[in-house]
Amino acid sequence: MWKDIGGREAGQIRPNSFANRVKSHRLSTLQLSNYKDIVSPHKGSINSLQVDLTEERYLLSGASDSSVAVYDVQRATDYEGGGHIAKHRSVFVVDKQHEHGHKYAISSAIWYPVDTGLFVTGSYDHYVKVWDTNCTRVVMNFKMPGKVYRTAMSPLAASHMLIAAGTEDVQVRLCDIASGAISQTLSGHRDGIMTVEWSTSSEWILVTGGCDGAIRFWDIRRAGCFRVLDQSQSQLGRRPPLLKRKVSISKSLSAGQNSSVKPRAPQKRSANGNGVRQSSVGRIPAKGSVRQRLHPGMLSSQDRATAHYGAVTGLKVTEDGMYLLSAGSDSRIRLWDVESGRNTLVNFETVRLQTSKPIQLATTQDPAVVFVPCMTAVKAFDIWSGKTCLTFRGHYEHVNCCCFSSQDQELYTGGNDRQILVWCPSRLISDGVDAGPMQDQDNWSD
Amino acid sequence: MKNDTNSDSSKPKKRRRDEEIEAESSSSDQENLTFSDTLVALRIMRAQFPHIDKVSIRPFILQSQLYSSVNDRTQVDRELESLRRERVLRVFKLNTGQDDHAIMFLDDYLNQIECVVKRMEEKKQVNLEVFEWFQTHVLDSKLEPSVGHEELCSLLSIVGKVKDEHISLLINAGILTRQLIDPDMYWFAIPNIGSVLKGLSQGRKEIISFLNRRKYKEMMLALLEKKHLRFSPLDMRFHLRDLIGSGHLKTIHTPTGLVVQISKD
Repeated sequence: MWKDIGGREAGQIRPNSFANRVKSHRLSTLQLSNYKDIVSPHKGSINSLQVDLTEERYLLSGASDSSVAVYDVQRATDYEGGGHIAKHRSVFVVDKQHEHGHKYAISSAIWYPVDTGLFVTGSYDHYVKVWDTNCTRVVMNFKMPGKVYRTAMSPLAASHMLIAAGTEDVQVRLCDIASGAISQTLSGHRDGIMTVEWSTSSEWILVTGGCDGAIRFWDIRRAGCFRVLDQSQSQLGRRPPLLKRKVSISKSLSAGQNSSVKPRAPQKRSANGNGVRQSSVGRIPAKGSVRQRLHPGMLSSQDRATAHYGAVTGLKVTEDGMYLLSAGSDSRIRLWDVESGRNTLVNFETVRLQTSKPIQLATTQDPAVVFVPCMTAVKAFDIWSGKTCLTFRGHYEHVNCCCFSSQDQELYTGGNDRQILVWCPSRLISDGVDAGPMQDQDNWSD
Repeated sequence: MKNDTNSDSSKPKKRRRDEEIEAESSSSDQENLTFSDTLVALRIMRAQFPHIDKVSIRPFILQSQLYSSVNDRTQVDRELESLRRERVLRVFKLNTGQDDHAIMFLDDYLNQIECVVKRMEEKKQVNLEVFEWFQTHVLDSKLEPSVGHEELCSLLSIVGKVKDEHISLLINAGILTRQLIDPDMYWFAIPNIGSVLKGLSQGRKEIISFLNRRKYKEMMLALLEKKHLRFSPLDMRFHLRDLIGSGHLKTIHTPTGLVVQISKD
C-alpha cells in the first residue's frame, strides 16, 4: 500500500490505475461489517435497496409491509459498543398508516436520478407513487393494471422524466412525471414483466425481461422493440470477432422464407432463429390460418426467442453500457454483449436462484465483479470468467436485493429476514480499540 | 474416479479397454479425472458410457458431467459452442429438470436414427422418406436444440410436399418432442431415450436421499462408487459426475481421500 502511494507520488503509477488497485484490494477484503450497522424498522422482507446516485449517501429501502425507509449511510445516528459500532437508524419511515401510503407489499423503491428530492415506489397494490422526500407526501399516483414488479428511471435522462413500470400485465408502461399521465405503452412481451432497466449509454433505450423468458430492447422513440435476445445466438469472447460480424445471417433461412423488407433500415438487426425477416405487407402467423396485417413496429411481437428457459428475474446493465447481465429462474446468469446482442457464454457457477421474486444484481464500476443474491447467500463472481470470488453468508433467509456503493466499496444486502446487512472492506484495527483506558497494567496483571 | 481400477475384476475386457484410454490422458490416479480439453473429456466419457441391456442407445454425455470434469466452465461452454458449429456433435435439451442438456456425437445420433428407421420399416410404416428429408435438410441447417413449426415445415418442403402425418411420424419416432415451455416449438430429442431418462432422475434422487439419510450427509468417494444403484441402469460414476457438475454434491479433499458431501445452497 505504501509502495503504491510512493509510486503514485513519483509518477510511476497513473492515477486511474492507482485508484483501481486500491479499490480492488478493498473489494477483495469485503466482509460483514463489524463497525457499521443499519437498523431496519421494517416488519416485512426487504424487496428493494438503492443508494442515491448523486452523493451515494442515502439508502432507500422498500419492504413487504408497505414501508419505505431512508438511511444515511455516511453518518451514524448513534454509536454503541464504546463508540466503535456505528448505528444507522432510518431518517424517516413511511408505512401503511400514512394516509396515501401503499396498501400491499412494495416491490421497488428508487430515487429520482437527478437529486434526492423525490423517490418513486411501485407496489403490489397496482400503484406507482412519486413521493416528495422532505415532506414525505405523495405527489403523483399512477394506476397500473396489475401488480407492479419493477420501476426504473433513466440515470442519463436529460429530456424526459419517464418512469418505466413492469407489471404482471404484458405491456410496459412509461409514466411521465412532467404531465402526470401514462404516456406510452410498449407491447411485445407475452407474459408479465419482472425487470426493467434503462440503458446506461443512451437515455432512450430500455431493456425489459419478462416471465416468458425474453429480454427485449426498446427504443422509446419508436414503436416496438428493436432487439430480442436469443440465448442460442452466441459469440465466443467478450467482443465479436471482427471479420465474422457481417456473417450474422442464420443458415436456416433457405428458399422457404420470403425476402425481407427491413422496416427500419439504419438499425442493425441481430439474427434470430425464428425468422423475423418478413415482408411488411402480410405474414402467416404461427397458427397458419389468418393473414394479418401488422404494423412494421409490431413484427417483433412474433419473435419468440428466449434468453432463459424460465422467467427473467434480474437484469443489470454495466456502467459502461457495453454488457448486460441477466439472471433467470432456470438458475442461470448470462452475460450479453449489448452491441451485437449475443450471449458471451460466460458460465457463472450458480446452483439455485430464487424463482418467484425479482432479484436485484449489483456490479462494480469498472465491471469486474457482479454480486448476485443466491438463495441465502450473496455471491460475487468475476464477470469475465464466471468464477466465484467471494461468498457472503449472513442472512438467515433468502436475499432479495443487493446494492454496491462504488464510492466506499460497501455492499448492502436485504432479504426476507427483514435485515439490511452491510459488507465493508476490513478495517485495520487502530491502537487502543479493545484496550480499556490506559491503566497501570502489563501482561501479568490480573 | 479411478480408485476402483485395481479392485473391480468383474468385467475384465471392458475394464482393460477403458484403462488404456484412461491411462494415456489422465493426470493423477487419486483425484477426479480432470481433463484439459472438452473434446478429450467427451471422448473419454463416451467410452465410459455404461452398457444398458434392454435398450439400444448410443452413448450420450450430460453437460453437467463436463462441468465436473473440466476446470473452467466458461471454456467448456465456448468449446461446446465451436464443436456444435463445426457439426461434430449436437446438443439436446432434456426435460428432466432445470437446464439439463445431453450431448451426442453426430455420427452416433445418425446411427440412432438409422436404427429407429429400420425398426419402423419392419413394421411396414409409410411416409418414411421424411426421415431422409429430415437428415439432409433440417439437421444440417438447424444447429440449435429447437426448431419452430413454421421453419420445420419450410425446411422439409424443400424436397417434397410435407403433411401433418410426416411430422407426426417424426414425433412418434422420438426425434422431435414438444416441451411445456412453448407450444409452438419442437425440440430435437434422442430416440429411445425415455427409459434411460427415467432411470437418470430416479438414480439422482436415490443418491441424494441416500446421502441425506446419513448422519453428516457425506461419504467417502471410494466407498460410494462401489454402491450399486437399484433404480437406475446407469452406473454410479455417471451419476456422480452429473451431480457434482450440477452443484448438488461437492467433493472435499481429506487426508484419507475424496469425500462427497451434499452441498447446502
